[in-house]
Amino acid sequence: MVTSCAEKTYAGTTIADVVSRATVSRTTFYKLFNDKRDCFDAAADLCVDRIAATVAAAAAGHESPAEATRRGAAAMLELLAGEPELALVLSGDAVGVDPGLVERYSDFTVPALEGLWERDGMPPPKHLSPGLACGRAQLLIFHQVTAGHPERLPSLLPDIVYLAIAPFAGHDEALRQARAAGAEVAT
Amino acid sequence: MTDAAALPRGRHGLSREAVTRSQRERLLDAAARVTAARGFEATTVADILAEAGVGRETFYQLFEDRRACILAAHQELLDDLVGHVRIAYEGPGEWADRCRATLRVLLEWFAADPPLGRFLLVEAAAVGPEFHAIFQAGFDRFVAVIDAGLDDDLPDPQPLPATSLAVGAAISRVYGEVAAGRTEHLPALLPQLTYETLVPFLGEAAAREAAYAGVGRAGKLSPRG
Repeated sequence: MVTSCAEKTYAGTTIADVVSRATVSRTTFYKLFNDKRDCFDAAADLCVDRIAATVAAAAAGHESPAEATRRGAAAMLELLAGEPELALVLSGDAVGVDPGLVERYSDFTVPALEGLWERDGMPPPKHLSPGLACGRAQLLIFHQVTAGHPERLPSLLPDIVYLAIAPFAGHDEALRQARAAGAEVAT
Repeated sequence: MTDAAALPRGRHGLSREAVTRSQRERLLDAAARVTAARGFEATTVADILAEAGVGRETFYQLFEDRRACILAAHQELLDDLVGHVRIAYEGPGEWADRCRATLRVLLEWFAADPPLGRFLLVEAAAVGPEFHAIFQAGFDRFVAVIDAGLDDDLPDPQPLPATSLAVGAAISRVYGEVAAGRTEHLPALLPQLTYETLVPFLGEAAAREAAYAGVGRAGKLSPRG
């Protein structure tokens, strides 16, 4: 489903495409999914899970929330640069199929980031709206991927780091971290 | 009622042109509204014709197909919005005030006609991959307008593309509200959105001051996820 949508878009993908790529029978398909949309939703969820697992693995073990955010963001961009079909399905096609998906990403990303900054059960202060920052980050990634330049995704690291940190630690700290990330990208 | 003196004489090209223009405008408006209501996939040329009150022959004289008509409608609306934004941003006053005025125009534009806003941002995306390029080009036009009027004494935001972040914030927020069908509340978001868009340029304190200048108490500022 993911490779077919990346190649032919959701509208252009048929169940025949999906079963032939997956080398499963049509009967099996309908045992697992109600229809094309049902299969697409499951595929989009899988993509989100893969990204989440990659980010969590990269962020684990870093004491400072800013450091963890930076590592997580870098790992996410590298994953998407290496497998642009993930980003293409999630940011381009999926949004056309289901506009509510943008909000679902935020619902998932924001609590994860928030958790990093939580100290002793105290919720972090919010300098900017994290949901909005998440939307902006999606737009940035979306643009590179749909413009056919997934290999440039890692260069977005300073912007993504800024957006991920500014809501919780403020503009000045986020700018400092973005500059640190920029220096890492340059080397 | 006919006023012979005011009309071009005979089968004048001007009058045919005027008729065609109004038919084209009606078709574009109809394409946007029908697509907003039914979605791109379900919209047919027949729907557009019925809404516009224009004949099929005229439609195909003006547009190659349904997709071309819908894309032209999108272009027309985007041009209109960019025009409004440009006028507001090039108006008088301090830079931060012009930013607030620009955001006000943006929010009011989307609140004034919810179906057209829904078409512009949400439903047109179903047109397919070529829409991505159109969206990106539209985004870049907003960035160019804002960049052209930046103040010289703004702090250096390196390495951040502050304008792109600000435009992205505005579009993300409007998109979220439009997709959720909460368009009528958009104008009330002005102070908060002004704050959000100015922070990458000015930092929190200066952005808060500019965003809430002349608007009640600043104590209400508590961004929500």
